[in-house]
Amino acid sequence: MKSRGFIITSLASVVAAGGLGVGGYYWSVAHVQRWTGMDHLGFVNCNHCHLVRVEKLPWAKERPRHPAPAGLAVSPDGRRLYIALDDVNEVAEADTATLQVNRRIKLAGGPYGLLAHPQDGRLFVTLRHADAVVELEPGRLTEVARIPVGKGPVCLAYTRTEAGERLIVANSLSDDASLLSLSPLAEIARPHTGREPFATAMSADGSVAFVVGRIAETKDFVTPAASELTLIRAATGRVLKRVPLESAHLAEGLATVASRGWALTPLVKVRNLIPITQVANGWVMSSGLGITLADGQTVQVPLDEANDYFADPSGIAVDPAGRYAYVVSGGSDAVSVVDLERLSDWLSKACELTRREAVDDLSLSAEYVVARLRTGRNPRAVTLSPDGRRLFVGERLADRVLVVDTATREPVGHVVLGDGGAWDPIRRGESVFTKAAHTFQSQFSCRSCHPDGHVDGLAYDFDGDGIGDNLLDNRSLHGLASTAPFKWIGSNPSVEVQCGPRFARVLMRTDPIPPDDLKDLATYLQSLPPTGWERRRDLALTPTQERGRQLFFATTRPDGTPIPRERQCQTCHRPPLFTARIPTAVGTRGPRDATELFDTPHLLGIGYSAPYLHDGRAKTLEELWTTYQTNDLHGVSSYWSKHQLNDLIEYLKTL
Amino acid sequence: MEARRLLLIGRWLPLTAAFAILSGCGRARLPAEALVFTQTPVTSPSNPGADTVLDERYPPGSRVVLLPSPQDPERLRVLSKGLLAAGSPVISADGTRVLFAGKASARDDWQIYEARLPGGRPRRLTAISGGAMDPAVLGNGAVVFSSPVPPAGATWTTTNPAALYRLNPDRSLLRLTWGPAAAVEPTVLNDGRILFVSAKPRGADGEISLGLFTINNDGTEVAAYALDRDGALWVHRPRELQDGRVGFLAATPTGFVAEGVQTARPFAGRRALFPFSAESCRSVEPGGAGRVLATLLPSLGTTNRSFAVFELAASATAPGEPLFDDPAWHDLEAMRPGTRPRPLGHLSTMSAKKDYGTLLCLNVNFSRHRQADGSPARTATRVRVTALDDQGAQRVLGELPVHPDGSFMAELPADRPLGFESLDADGELIYRLPPTIWVRAGENRSCVGCHEPPNRSPRNVRPKAVYEPVARLRLANPDLASTVP
Repeated sequence: MKSRGFIITSLASVVAAGGLGVGGYYWSVAHVQRWTGMDHLGFVNCNHCHLVRVEKLPWAKERPRHPAPAGLAVSPDGRRLYIALDDVNEVAEADTATLQVNRRIKLAGGPYGLLAHPQDGRLFVTLRHADAVVELEPGRLTEVARIPVGKGPVCLAYTRTEAGERLIVANSLSDDASLLSLSPLAEIARPHTGREPFATAMSADGSVAFVVGRIAETKDFVTPAASELTLIRAATGRVLKRVPLESAHLAEGLATVASRGWALTPLVKVRNLIPITQVANGWVMSSGLGITLADGQTVQVPLDEANDYFADPSGIAVDPAGRYAYVVSGGSDAVSVVDLERLSDWLSKACELTRREAVDDLSLSAEYVVARLRTGRNPRAVTLSPDGRRLFVGERLADRVLVVDTATREPVGHVVLGDGGAWDPIRRGESVFTKAAHTFQSQFSCRSCHPDGHVDGLAYDFDGDGIGDNLLDNRSLHGLASTAPFKWIGSNPSVEVQCGPRFARVLMRTDPIPPDDLKDLATYLQSLPPTGWERRRDLALTPTQERGRQLFFATTRPDGTPIPRERQCQTCHRPPLFTARIPTAVGTRGPRDATELFDTPHLLGIGYSAPYLHDGRAKTLEELWTTYQTNDLHGVSSYWSKHQLNDLIEYLKTL
Repeated sequence: MEARRLLLIGRWLPLTAAFAILSGCGRARLPAEALVFTQTPVTSPSNPGADTVLDERYPPGSRVVLLPSPQDPERLRVLSKGLLAAGSPVISADGTRVLFAGKASARDDWQIYEARLPGGRPRRLTAISGGAMDPAVLGNGAVVFSSPVPPAGATWTTTNPAALYRLNPDRSLLRLTWGPAAAVEPTVLNDGRILFVSAKPRGADGEISLGLFTINNDGTEVAAYALDRDGALWVHRPRELQDGRVGFLAATPTGFVAEGVQTARPFAGRRALFPFSAESCRSVEPGGAGRVLATLLPSLGTTNRSFAVFELAASATAPGEPLFDDPAWHDLEAMRPGTRPRPLGHLSTMSAKKDYGTLLCLNVNFSRHRQADGSPARTATRVRVTALDDQGAQRVLGELPVHPDGSFMAELPADRPLGFESLDADGELIYRLPPTIWVRAGENRSCVGCHEPPNRSPRNVRPKAVYEPVARLRLANPDLASTVP
């Protein structure tokens, strides 16, 4: 009797549970369709719209910090090496003879770029996250002055002009440069530069400041993108010339050669307009050196070889005699030694055509690259002692500075700052991210297209789904945690799928990233916060931004007409991540696209990730609604005035 | 209690030991100075009845051996035990296997064998009609070899030229090369590509010219690697060395000499591998610490006239004393056992659903033969595509219009030799590539130009051809099947 009751109860429970399940399923489908207004949607997990809390996301949590070397500077007497440690908010001072760290001082705000005054040794430091430059007294490293500059200052250079001493500061997030006088420390001008200025240098006579942008600027998918080398009068801050470095991006270093009147820029020569049918022969990208000659002409020459590549060239230093340039390759853990005399000889013999095509000739570098020095993980910054006898290379992911004897080209030791952080999965993942050895012949790394996890502003033509079809804008990896699926058509459910064997087949053209490394890579990517998140999170909205916010969340037009749910901004771009993670058709399908449904990107940091739409056709946020809006499918914008559009964009930039 | 535990351990010990031995745990570690090489008898009579190139190269009695210590010749072990002849050893990246070409008896074909180190019995891997030779090992353990074994003296003239095949770990076989000329002597580069020797299309003088070519591990992306009609008549046994060079043997009137090209600029001319002149060289292999293992014939002044093993620094001015020399044997093809860098892999982009590949040429008018301003001497407006049919006859697949920027794109039949002829507006031939290259099923293949300078990256220009529908050319096109160029 007891067992019969048990069976009946069990059966009833199963039927009830089944009924609840089926009923719940149909209810949830109806719920989703009702609230999105999209009839085609089936079952969607609750967490597409609910249960997401920003403070629970990996990038919002505290992560381990590492003493990774950023900028380097040597005192005028060559006895002290200064090292900016942006991740731990410190500046270190090391003895160049003993290679021991003398002291480390706290300096909040992400100290990144360093400069030692060539006469009195005063130290100037850019605070990348605090948007300021501080002056430190060289004896005790105490702060004596501070001045606000543009957003995200990363590099600075010094000169003495007829009007006084000057500093030029590259402000990476506000796309401008701050020109500072030293007596007193004051900002004189802030000229606009190329996108994401990242390096500065001064001409031999001190009259011209050079600033290079690391992100290329695009016009359309026919015209090659170009990074900008901006020439600025050092005394006044007036822009003298804007030199486009054609098809160049990731330009993160700059040096001048006084004896030759050259400005040298390590760069990545990107070939995004060509379908990615292969990787061999630098088909996707290769590394080069931009030489801006005294007459303003620019020649690009390769740093790579026919069968070996030196990815992600970054810092550059030129010895005082102007004989050798040292270029570090962060992806390949190497320093390329360029014999500038041999390079000059080659230039003097090369005709116009040869110069124009030089960067595409992979057999050319053997003419002037005379050595490749091996380094620890991810060298990014490099500097020389004033006498040129010691080379200091910041091995960013090894927490060390490598010291090399330039006469023998042999390492003499390391300044050890930390343990390399191999215990930290985020650090290990960053190492995978920056390592070119995962691609065929080490041609590029993840970072080559995603500098610091962000965008390169370019669209690419992958051949796996047809040559010339389905162009893809490069999306930022900042703030991607909990925004799956990935890929513009939303077909990859996880980072591991996105970056696994599929990527090895279509892009890396070699072995897939090993599973443990892939797991670390995913951990690292999910730890990346949205661009500028820290600096925006606690700011109150301005009246303009508030008006934009109301427009974003509007459910009716001003006349009271309801806006259909599927066309309200908040339906697809639902807070807090501003994505419902559901592929949506917003009238942006191009003639060569295979689908009209595209993944809904999150909007956190959207102001920094131009261009927009799946194929990058919209160069600005404005163009989304002024040029590429179709029948109010991408939000109902037909009733907006120009001012309202501006309001909305100002709001979007706060996300 | 203790005794019982010991008894239990004792009972399991033989089984554990057996398992350890079987699984390789008990494998003796070979010393760093150990050598694996081929020995051919010095006194063997000439082999007039040699049927194939391997019969010629490795007369009966030839063997593959392991020498744990060059100072102790008595410890020499024959790895090809039981075979009539053997040669062409190669060692897997994990250092556990030696693969070589072997012949069981005079009646048998040459096949690929493997022996476990330090001294297992040979095990046959292939049983392919026409025989197999020149093994190489990919990073995943798959074996690449050449087949059939050409008749003696007819490697480049036989009507049934050798092609490269891949024997996968699951025993499936994949043909890799589809050119009209033989593809022999493969070696696997560290970047995962297969480097091999093949013949370039014959020039106007009809002379055969050999070159080095590469393919991916699935036969895609066939490309010239080095030796561009620079007089290398015979090229033999290329190997990637540790000092940034690819070494190989080039023919001279008296024998083979070691030469090399820089991987940084492989087309910029070949040079002697060693600064001294050696009378004859039979192999170069990477040695220890950037050195080169070479098998050389000692100079004429010595009484010993057998090939010996030398280990040479790049700066060596003389061969010096041999590392090992047995006067009764020619000691050839020497290499160090032990682990070596595992060549990278390559995930195939081939598609079994397709019988064609797609070729995109960025600018057919980009050529090494140009005017001073870079413009072509004559501008191509059309491209004629040719192919070899199954009987080896040349057919025209069709003609394609060239876009104003010089680009064209077409779907072409997979796995057969394809040729291209650029034509000017009057239909006059500008450049001709006889059917030589191929595309694999589903492969997307690109080229920068036509007879373009080597090692060129493309200009970052959007090719106009990608905006137009792709032309489809098939061998079975009835309108064109009977047309010959």
